[in-house]
Amino acid sequence: MDGRAQAAASDPVLRVRDLSVRFDSRRNVVHAVNGVSFDLEVGGALGLVGESGSGKTVTSLAILRLLPRPAARIVTGEIWLGDRDLIRLSDREMRRLRGKEISLVPQDPLSGLNPVLTVGEQVVETLRAHESIRRREARHRAAELLGTVGIPRPSDQLDRYPHQFSGGMRQRVLIAIALALRPTLLIADEPTTALDVTVQAQVLDLLHELTAQHGTAILLISHDLGIMARMTRRIMVMYAGYVVESAPTVEIFARPGHPYTAGLLQSIPRVADAGRPLTPIAGSPPELDRRPRGCPFAPRCAWALDVCWREMPSLAPMGALSFSGGPRPVGHLLACHNPVAADEVEGGRPLRPGFRPAPPPEDGLVAQETT
Amino acid sequence: MTTPAPYVSEPALLEVRDLRVHFPITRGTVFRRTVGQVHAVDGLSLKLATAETVGLVGESGSGKTTLGRAIVGLLPPTSGTILFRGLPFGTKGAARGHAGRSQLQMVFQDPTASLDPKWRVGASIAEPLRVNHVGTRTERRERVSNLLEVVGLSPGHARRYPHELSGGQRQRVGLARALALNPAVIVADEAVSALDVSIRAQVINLLRQLQDELKLSYLFIAHDLAVVRHLSDRVAVMYLGQIVEQAAAADLYSDARHPYTVSLLSAVPVPDPSVEARRQRIVLPGDPPNPASPPPGCRFHTRCWLRKRLGNPERCAAEEPADQLVSVGHTAACHYAHEVPENVRLSVVGPSAEPAS
Repeated sequence: MDGRAQAAASDPVLRVRDLSVRFDSRRNVVHAVNGVSFDLEVGGALGLVGESGSGKTVTSLAILRLLPRPAARIVTGEIWLGDRDLIRLSDREMRRLRGKEISLVPQDPLSGLNPVLTVGEQVVETLRAHESIRRREARHRAAELLGTVGIPRPSDQLDRYPHQFSGGMRQRVLIAIALALRPTLLIADEPTTALDVTVQAQVLDLLHELTAQHGTAILLISHDLGIMARMTRRIMVMYAGYVVESAPTVEIFARPGHPYTAGLLQSIPRVADAGRPLTPIAGSPPELDRRPRGCPFAPRCAWALDVCWREMPSLAPMGALSFSGGPRPVGHLLACHNPVAADEVEGGRPLRPGFRPAPPPEDGLVAQETT
Repeated sequence: MTTPAPYVSEPALLEVRDLRVHFPITRGTVFRRTVGQVHAVDGLSLKLATAETVGLVGESGSGKTTLGRAIVGLLPPTSGTILFRGLPFGTKGAARGHAGRSQLQMVFQDPTASLDPKWRVGASIAEPLRVNHVGTRTERRERVSNLLEVVGLSPGHARRYPHELSGGQRQRVGLARALALNPAVIVADEAVSALDVSIRAQVINLLRQLQDELKLSYLFIAHDLAVVRHLSDRVAVMYLGQIVEQAAAADLYSDARHPYTVSLLSAVPVPDPSVEARRQRIVLPGDPPNPASPPPGCRFHTRCWLRKRLGNPERCAAEEPADQLVSVGHTAACHYAHEVPENVRLSVVGPSAEPAS
């Protein structure tokens, strides 16, 4: 039975509201996450896309309450898992919840496992931390779990150490641990980046199958739009700590509204059409140690208006302001003063006669340098 | 082993013939003894023409980096020949001193690791010039400014340190350094893999532009099949130290004949949800075998889906397959290359996979 279809209409398992995270260093303050809000429904599959420094990993660490202390602090926001605000929980309550209700599949399978404990001990540890079961029974369950993630001869593998497993097998072990207690939310942060493409396919299939089976919601973090297309129902695009666009996966690919999203889609070569030239986004992502005035993407944006340099638009349903003419479905949220029209996506620049991107204001309050 | 691609009429700029690079596996610290060999590159032949890009794909451990390093002279080959403009580089240490070596340059994956953090960028770019006694100090400085402009940076960047640059800028510096001695061939080993999507596209376009302007040849090593398709004229697929399939890029992606290539292509996530929802994937079981003890016969037979479909013929486990000619310039090292079903070949990269014009 597909848990996803059945659970689609129910309440969100995770509600994040106005989350902002800062990192303090001696010299400056890094604005890592700026007012991020989203819902993830039971059994849903949400993708978080963005480049390095966009705040996607920091967002996920905030949800797990695993931000490095004291450097990072959550300045505003609420993170509701069911009826509990995770930000208000004590460390002890949070420990009880982690692994049981929310769990994490990290990027690097080697650092996610303890090298001096056998794989069996690590699975057993997770089980016994949350359930009062005997060691023997836990071991039996551990073998079963390793079996479900496709590790051959699981009982024989329990006494082996992580280094004796291949990268793909280690990632399977981590998935087994993450899903051992059937959490309601699984956060997977670049779960296959370290893996070869054929092994990646195995691991993605496994993640999809298991989360669908148990109705586990998945928050998938990746920079790979191909993985997003395969695995998610909805995608949030982050830039410089802001969510700049959020829409159903099909919609993001078919009709991106934000110039950054459109730019990303034009920046990726595709296996199926080789001749198409890439249209990269000019410039590079901003440094986050100054809170930019206006939209952080303005310095790289071909659609920039004067207002973009002064005011960060809020994330709002895409509607009448659309240039494309076509109706946008419910649930397409966008933070942009001047969205990309449907016919402008492919060329990667505005097609309106006489349009020039607004230059930075001359009053010296430029958000960041444009090189 | 490999038949020359017929459209390469002049002698290839670079030719690799039956190259082998083996690494000894040693045991013991005091009485070190060799207990085995890793056959990283094992009897491989390849040609590269002027201004051509050959893409080299394969999973980790397939030997693609070893091949690249052997070509630029960073690793001594165990046997085989590397010919540059028809002249051999020779084996075992004889590489040094060959005038042609400076014509082959390498760009590495991690621009942070390949630049000295204590050196200004200008010094790093000038190093190959200095080592080869090219020009005076002033001339070298001028050349560095010029190179920085060629790769899309400003001359002022010469005075910066690597940590002051972004990842994309650092990779441009790596490229400028590789271009310093006017090479004919650049071996790019995962040169864009570590870059963010929007920056990666800039560097890819730069590579193309440089090739047009300077008539460079690229051996482009990468695991990302979409990037390889975008940049390459021809593509070679490696598995456990050997090339299993080789063809013009358009042919390889639309008409793959080696079951390994087919499964690689089918495993690549396609950034299009409508394609992802419909396409058929062939998921290979298990991991690539250990290159220290490759399976007998066809090296792929232990994971091969086609062999299974054909009822596990003995031949695959017993006999090493020779290259089969599929079409002009397209070879596949599989006994049953002609048995890959047409519907599988066409569906792997998705419904929109038309041969590129």
